[in-house]
Amino acid sequence: MRINVILYRVMAYVTGVILIVLCALAIGQVWTSDGAAVNAVGTVHGLLYIVYLIVSYPLTRRLRLAVPATIAVLLAGTVPVMTFVVEYRIRHRYIEPALAQQDAGPREAPRPVA
Amino acid sequence: MPGSQAPRWRFLITPKWLAWHLIMVASVAGMLALGDWQLHRALAGNGLSWAYTFEWPIFAVFGVVFWAKTIRDEFRPPVSATPGDEAVALPAGAVPAPAGARPDGEGAEVDAELAAYNAYLARLHGEVKGHGRWHGLR
Repeated sequence: MRINVILYRVMAYVTGVILIVLCALAIGQVWTSDGAAVNAVGTVHGLLYIVYLIVSYPLTRRLRLAVPATIAVLLAGTVPVMTFVVEYRIRHRYIEPALAQQDAGPREAPRPVA
Repeated sequence: MPGSQAPRWRFLITPKWLAWHLIMVASVAGMLALGDWQLHRALAGNGLSWAYTFEWPIFAVFGVVFWAKTIRDEFRPPVSATPGDEAVALPAGAVPAPAGARPDGEGAEVDAELAAYNAYLARLHGEVKGHGRWHGLR
């Protein structure tokens, strides 16, 4: 679980940053018409997105996210800036409670007071 | 009752899930179509399209695999979820009896307390195991 969370967060940030770089280059293409860099970064983002999917899907299952939330997480890797937003929300709403509960784990129940 | 056991797969044909199935079929078909389109572009000499020619089918496979796993996960928890629902109404057993209420002897009292405590532990265990079952799809 913890490793999965770390991998997800790393991939969310890496994919998000690459996607912003890709967008910046694509916008820059209007003036420079330098297609090679856009193509290269686009391909890298494509590969990273595959890794992002492989990493984030198991996490959505572990957190038992609903189908819409799962789709939001998976598609976040293709929408600029969205990975950061989704990662922040998922972390606060699902990951941290789940980890806290896991740490508490099979904690000893309060003894009945006779 | 045995009648409630059989239609566990029924949720798959509820309107909500049927809609999801349709969306999944449409999107997988769409991804394959995009892959085919990219293949044609690649064959027409667009080098970058080769990457997407392979990427779209991979996404389509992901879609199928993820969907299958999502459905499989939906099947698994009901075993613990159903007793869990009943157990939620049961914490009375976990709440210690008022100190004054001791009609039985000491031994019987300890046994009842132990049984209640064990039931409480079992309930906690079940809740932790099945946690989030109902937080998920609604």
